Amino acid sequence: MTSVAALMVWPVILPLLGAVLALLVGRPGVRLVAGVASVATLMASSMLAWEVAHQGVLHQSIGGWGAPLGIEWRADGLAALMLLTIALVGPLISVHALDHFGDREDREFLPLWLFVWCALNALVLSADAFNLYVTLELTTLAAVALIAVRRDLPGLDAGLRYLLFALPGSLCYLLGIALLYGAHATLDVGTLAQRVQPGPVTWVAAGLVTVGLCLKTPLFPLHVWLPPTYTGAPTPVTALLSALISKGSFYVLLRLWLEVFAPVMDAQVGQLLGVLGAAAVLWGSALALNQTQLKRVVAYSSVAQIGYMFLVFPMATSGARAGAIYLVVSHAAAKASMFVAVGNIHQAVGITALGGVQGLAHRMPFTFLAMALGGISLIGIPPSGGFIAKWLLLNEAIGTRQWWWGLVLLVGSLMAAAYVFRILRGSFLPLPPGVTVRSIPLGNELAPLALALIALVLGLVPWFPLDLLAIGASR
Amino acid sequence: MTDVLLDGCLALCLPLLAWLVLRTESLSQAVVLFVAFGLLSALGWARLDAPDIALVEAAVGTGLTGALLMHTLSWTEETPPDVRARARRRPWALLATAALTLLLGWAVLALPADSPGLGPEVEARREDSGVKHPVTAVLLNFRGYDTLLEIAVLLVAALGARAVNPRSERASSDAAKDPLTGELFRMMTPALLLVAGYLVWVGDHGPGGAFQAGAILAGGGVVAILTSRMGTPRMSSLRVRWALLTGPLLFIGVGVAPLLSGRRLLELPEKLAGTLIFIVEMALTVTIAMVLLMFFPGTRPSRAGRGGER
Repeated sequence: MTSVAALMVWPVILPLLGAVLALLVGRPGVRLVAGVASVATLMASSMLAWEVAHQGVLHQSIGGWGAPLGIEWRADGLAALMLLTIALVGPLISVHALDHFGDREDREFLPLWLFVWCALNALVLSADAFNLYVTLELTTLAAVALIAVRRDLPGLDAGLRYLLFALPGSLCYLLGIALLYGAHATLDVGTLAQRVQPGPVTWVAAGLVTVGLCLKTPLFPLHVWLPPTYTGAPTPVTALLSALISKGSFYVLLRLWLEVFAPVMDAQVGQLLGVLGAAAVLWGSALALNQTQLKRVVAYSSVAQIGYMFLVFPMATSGARAGAIYLVVSHAAAKASMFVAVGNIHQAVGITALGGVQGLAHRMPFTFLAMALGGISLIGIPPSGGFIAKWLLLNEAIGTRQWWWGLVLLVGSLMAAAYVFRILRGSFLPLPPGVTVRSIPLGNELAPLALALIALVLGLVPWFPLDLLAIGASR
Repeated sequence: MTDVLLDGCLALCLPLLAWLVLRTESLSQAVVLFVAFGLLSALGWARLDAPDIALVEAAVGTGLTGALLMHTLSWTEETPPDVRARARRRPWALLATAALTLLLGWAVLALPADSPGLGPEVEARREDSGVKHPVTAVLLNFRGYDTLLEIAVLLVAALGARAVNPRSERASSDAAKDPLTGELFRMMTPALLLVAGYLVWVGDHGPGGAFQAGAILAGGGVVAILTSRMGTPRMSSLRVRWALLTGPLLFIGVGVAPLLSGRRLLELPEKLAGTLIFIVEMALTVTIAMVLLMFFPGTRPSRAGRGGER
C-alpha cells in the first residue's frame, strides 16, 4: 500500500527537481532537462490518476507524522482529474512558448513553468489549509515572474498589477486560516470540516478565505486586474494564467466550501456567490462583445467563463459540482487553445486589433480550426466539454428549482456565440491588401489544435472524467 | 508593572507609527518610520514569547527590507507624483480598514481564550524529531514539506527580481576606496560569519535557524554590494547557481531518500534526523543569503547619467 501512496510524491517532486536542475544547467541543457521532467511528470500524474480510478481515494502523511501534527495528502477523483488536465494542457502551452520566445526568455520560462506545475500539483493534492496557502503563494510568485519574463514595460506593468491584487488575496486567505487554527487547533481540512461550528469565527474566516480566493481567481467585481494583466502578459503566459493558474484558487475555494464551510453557512451566502457569478457572465460577455483588441475579447471571455463556475455554490449538489469541474477542465483546454491561437495570429501579422484576423483563415487553417473548436466549447455547442458542463449545470438548476441560473446559462451562451462569431467572421473575409503574413512553424499551428481537440474529446467521451469525479465525492 | 507599561507603550506606538508611515508625503520619511515600526513590532513579537519571529522580523522584515527600501529611494523621486490622488482615496481606505478591524475583533473575541494550538502535540513528539527546539522541529521535520515549498518560493522570487532589477555592473566607484567603509567591512565580516554559524547551530535547541542566519549573512553581502566590493549575484555565473541550488537539491534528496527504503516523503530516520536537519539548514542558509542578495540591484545609476537621459 505504501508503494501505491508513494506515487503521490512524484507529480510534485519531479517538476520541482526539474525546475532546480534546469536552473542549474543553464543555457545548453535547459530544454532537455525541462523536456525530460515534463514527460516524467506526465507519466507520474497519469499513473496516479490510474491508481485512483482503480483503487479509490489515496492518502499519504508526509513525514509519517499524520494530522494534525504533519501534512496530509489526499488524492480523490477530482484531484486526479486536475492532475491530468494540468499535465496535458500545460506542456502543450509550453511547446508553443518555445517558438514564441527568444533564447533568454525561453531559458527563464521553462524553469518557472516547472515551478508553476509543481505548485499546482501540490495544491491539488494538499489536504492541509496552511500548505494550501504555501502552494498558492508559490503559484502567484511564479506567475508574476512569468508575466514579466520579457522585461518589457507592458509585461512589468501587468506583473506588478497581478502581484498587487494576488498578494492581498493570499493574505486574506491566510488571515482566515489563522482564525480557524486559533479556534480549532488544526490545519487539516478533514478535521476542520468536523470541528467548525456556526459562529463569528467561522463566518469571518469563511468570508476572508472566500474574498481572498475570489480576488485571485478572479470573481466579478474583483476582476478589474484581469483584462490589463491578461493583455500585457506574453501570450503563452496568458494561456497558462487563464487555463491553469486561475483554476488553482478556484479549486481551493470549491474544496473548502463544499467540504468545510457549506454545512455551517447560511444558504444566502451561496446565493450571493451565484449572483456575482451570474453578473460576471453577463458583464464579461457584454464587454467581450465590445472590445476592439483580439486578446481583450478572449480575456473578457475568461471573466464570463469563471462566472459560470461560481453557479455551483447556490446549487451545491454533486451534479452541480461535476458541472463546475467539467467547466474548469474544458475551459482550461478551450481557452488555452484560443490564447495560443491569438499568439499565432499576433506572430503572423503583428496586428493586435480584432480586424487583424481578416483573411487569415486560409493562411492559418489549423490555428483557426483550433479557434473555432475552442469557441464551440466556450459557447457550449455539442460535442464539446463546454456543452457537457453547461448541460450538467442546467439540469441542476432545474432540479433544484432555481430556474434563474438556467436563464443565465442560456443568455451567456448566446453572448459567447456572438463574440466567437465576431472573431471567426473576420477570418473568412478576403485578406486586405498590403498585409503580409509571416509563416508560423507547424508545431505552433498544431499546439492550439491539440488543445482544442482535448475540449472536443471531453464532449465525446464524458463518462471517463465523470466516473473519475465521482470517486471520493462527499455527496 | 513595568511589563504593563512596556506593553502599553508598544500597543500605543505601533498603530501610531503605522499611521505616520501612511500619512507622510515624503518617501524617505516613510522608509525611516517603517524601519522604526519594524523594530518595535520585533519587540512586540518578543513580548508575545515568539523570539523566532522577533528575530526574523528584525533581520528580514526590518533590516534587509529597510536597506532595500532605502536603496530604492536613490532611484526614485522624493515625492511621488500621485500624492493628491492618494489623499482622495484615503477616506475609503480608512473605512475599509476600520470595517476589517471590527470584523477581526469580533472574530478574535469569540476565539477560545487560551487554546494551546498544536503545542501539546509538538511537545509530545519533539523527542522523535531529532532537534530540541520546537520551532525548528515544526519547520524542518513535522512540516518540513511546507519549508521545502517555501524554498521554492524564495527561488522564484529571486528569478522574478531579475525582471525588475536593471543589469548592474560591479562598479569601481570611489566608494570602494573609501577607507572608512573598507575598515568597517573588514571588521564586520568575521563577526557576521560567526553570528550566522552560531544561529544555525543554536537552531537545534533555541531560537535560530537557516532563515535568521541567511539574513545575517545577506546583511554582510548587502554592505559589500552597496560599497561596490561585490556585484549583485547573477544567475549566469555557475558558482552563483551552485550556491543558490545546493540547498534545494540537498533538501529534495533528503526528502526523497526515505522512499528508497519504503518510507514516506521526508520521513527522516530518527537517529539521523538531527544531523540531516543540521546539514540541510547549513546549505539552506547559503541559499537564503543568495536569494536575499539577488534583490539588491547593486550600485545606483549615477545621477549624472539619469540627468543626461531627460
